[in-house]
Amino acid sequence: MTRRTAPRAFLLAAGELLAWWAGLALLWLVLITTVDTLERIVGASCAAAGALAARAGRRAVTWR
Amino acid sequence: MNGWILAATVELGGGGAAALWGVATGPPARRLTAQNLTTSVVCPALLLLAQGYARPAYVDLALLLALLGPVGTLVFARLLSGEQVSGPNVRGATWTAAGLDAAVVVAVCAAVGPGRSMVKLLLIGTLLIGGNIIASRALAGGFRGVGGG
Repeated sequence: MTRRTAPRAFLLAAGELLAWWAGLALLWLVLITTVDTLERIVGASCAAAGALAARAGRRAVTWR
Repeated sequence: MNGWILAATVELGGGGAAALWGVATGPPARRLTAQNLTTSVVCPALLLLAQGYARPAYVDLALLLALLGPVGTLVFARLLSGEQVSGPNVRGATWTAAGLDAAVVVAVCAAVGPGRSMVKLLLIGTLLIGGNIIASRALAGGFRGVGGG
């Protein structure tokens, strides 16, 4: 049973993280003044950290 | 001085005076409402000043204020939740402030033109008006369903 559901759970988690990352990266790109390579790298990194925090926060609220 | 700075001066002077009067007089519920509305007064003034001085960086201040102002009001609303009395003119003041915010955001958006800056301004406007309405509802004793947490 777990062997069948584990890949699905992994895909769901990855999809959620990707969705958070895309939204946060888009937000970053909208809010900065000038778009260049450094800003893209920093924005992608911050969005990745933010996506992890957002998923953790969402799970903490859902499991209450 | 151009039209934007003049508009910011008038808006900040009139709205700021009204907010100061509301904060300094009356019962706590009225003061809290006025404190909440200061965000809706100062934030559009910052947008107008950013446009007037042609400094897009000043818009970031408005963004921060639109984010943190309603959060601060919610903290006050939580602290004083035991003695909330719904003010008689909360609804009118809230919607007046929301209309003012919307008018300023639309005017600055029209001046900026389409692009990333306009998306940023629309985001600020959404945060400002949404935060204002949510904070006002919390101050007026709303959200009873989530009050016991």
